[in-house]
Amino acid sequence: MSRRRVVALFRRVVSEIRRDRPSLALLFIAPIVITGLVTFILRESQVPQVTAVVVNLAGPRGQAVGDALGAALRTGGATVTDVADEGVARASIADTSASVGIVLRAGAATGSALDITVITNGLDPSGDAGQVSAVQRSVLAAVTSASGTAMPVIDHTTVYGTPTDDPVTTFAPAIVAFFAYFFVYILTGVSFLRERTGGTLERLMATPVTRGEVVLGYTLGFGLFATIQVAVLMLWALGSLHVGALGPLPAFSIGLGIAANGSPILAFVVVVLLAVGAVSLGIFLSTFARTELQIIQFIPIVLAPQFLLSGVLFPVSSLPSILRPLVAIMPLNYAVDGLRQVFIRGADLGVPALQLDLVVLGIVAAFFATIAAFTIRRDVV
Amino acid sequence: MALHAELDPDDVDSPPAIGAHGLVKTFGTLRAVDDVTFDLAPGRIYGLLGPNGSGKTTLIRLLTGLALPTSGWAEVLGTRMPSRPNLARIGYMTQSDGVYAALTVAENLRFFGAVYGVEGDEPVGHALEIVDLADRRSSIVGTLSGGQRRRLSLACALVHRPPVLFLDEPTVGVDPLLRVQFWAHFRALSDAGTTIVVSSHVMDEADRCDELLFVRSGKITARGTGQEIRVRAGTADLEQAFLRLGGNVEVTR
Repeated sequence: MSRRRVVALFRRVVSEIRRDRPSLALLFIAPIVITGLVTFILRESQVPQVTAVVVNLAGPRGQAVGDALGAALRTGGATVTDVADEGVARASIADTSASVGIVLRAGAATGSALDITVITNGLDPSGDAGQVSAVQRSVLAAVTSASGTAMPVIDHTTVYGTPTDDPVTTFAPAIVAFFAYFFVYILTGVSFLRERTGGTLERLMATPVTRGEVVLGYTLGFGLFATIQVAVLMLWALGSLHVGALGPLPAFSIGLGIAANGSPILAFVVVVLLAVGAVSLGIFLSTFARTELQIIQFIPIVLAPQFLLSGVLFPVSSLPSILRPLVAIMPLNYAVDGLRQVFIRGADLGVPALQLDLVVLGIVAAFFATIAAFTIRRDVV
Repeated sequence: MALHAELDPDDVDSPPAIGAHGLVKTFGTLRAVDDVTFDLAPGRIYGLLGPNGSGKTTLIRLLTGLALPTSGWAEVLGTRMPSRPNLARIGYMTQSDGVYAALTVAENLRFFGAVYGVEGDEPVGHALEIVDLADRRSSIVGTLSGGQRRRLSLACALVHRPPVLFLDEPTVGVDPLLRVQFWAHFRALSDAGTTIVVSSHVMDEADRCDELLFVRSGKITARGTGQEIRVRAGTADLEQAFLRLGGNVEVTR
């Protein structure tokens, strides 16, 4: 291993990326725009507007409940209209003048409570669920006020961090890790493929350079950009720089202002280890690609499962048990967990869970670097 | 034909620069290189002549150690290939340009110089002078013409001043004027003691070589100077000679 040759490779990779503006935009601007957008959507998502039509088929008892329910719904900001029968209710939901229908019937058994049927449009299941839960909350409020008993107050505390209603807090570590992985993989894969198809790898192999030096030079070069990317992304995610009102411009703040408890340096180490693994993965997979399009085609095979099984989108605890063994072999899972340990729990190096994450990421990086080196064969053809 | 007395190939005291010893390379049932044996003396220009697909590139890759022989072995400057340290003494100009389009001319040369173990601006300037690209040293390679890129590719193979140079079809896509310049460079390098192996399928380049090796279906079918081959084939036209000697006629020196 010659330091001089590794430095030459490192400098060459850096010069190439530095001149490649679209790649720089992909590395630095795309993650900021996307995390900003995700944060905005999660924080500012609209409470679903409820426009209810109520059908009372249960006589005076139904009328009392219907009135209480209507009052509770109105308190929650809903519009409530009484209609004569279910057909009218269905018609107004069909023509979208109402978002939900509530039908009150006498209970099937004598002396039983009322039966309530909720009708929704059905075209948008998750929107429908919002409508149903709005009705459920109002029923609960109506029952509580009718019976005169106070509902117990639920107080929520957490072992790690503080309870927060900011959904971005758990989401941000996953997004940071995913972007680092995704963009570093794409850039290395495409860049190394060009090396293979452009004849420069053939030429490089006719020099005294070793395969290990090539992998190390690439890892250092792309690792540098991954490091800068993660630094920028962390500043953006954790920072909150307030800019005062300036003339006609209202006051605003730069950065997502996500609360973090642990050391940013430690979080940084987690992502850099992940990125080093992604460099080697890109080199390795470029062996199996003939065109740059094929590098993109590996995304559904290699990256999509990690996205689904590493707690980026769905919590790992909610995954079907048959998929759990797969979670254990997803590198991204350890980075996401590591970042959550640092950000939310405020973990330091003494925490075994974080130690495990770091060790696994280190092993994965070393493993892929080794097999990547073996794919750079002298006897290519 | 300028030959230094001390580099006389018939002089038994002068060890061969390049040797092939029963080299065979098969790809499945195809014998791309089929039992090739020769010694090439230092300081001369050897032309590997043969049609496309005759095995010229595979033979060069075996000699440089880029491909592993199925049987037999190759040696360069007395060292058996493949040998990584020995590659520092070999220059290889690939058929494709094999240069980095996003870097400047000087950055490409500095990079290849560094991996070959020579650093600094002196080797870069020297190589640029040889290929007459000094005025484009700061240009991004992607903006160069095809001929300029070919010249840079040659410069990258020369930057470490190797005593042995393999040039795989160096003049493909090169205009006639530049081709003349290239051959003048090759001759100057050989006069300075460099052993050069040039592959080509262009017959008019053949007469510029000190010695020719005809390659057909992975075999060396004839070897000798252009004049010797003409006499042997009984024709004044080298192309005719190549066709006549395309079989298994061995031309001995």
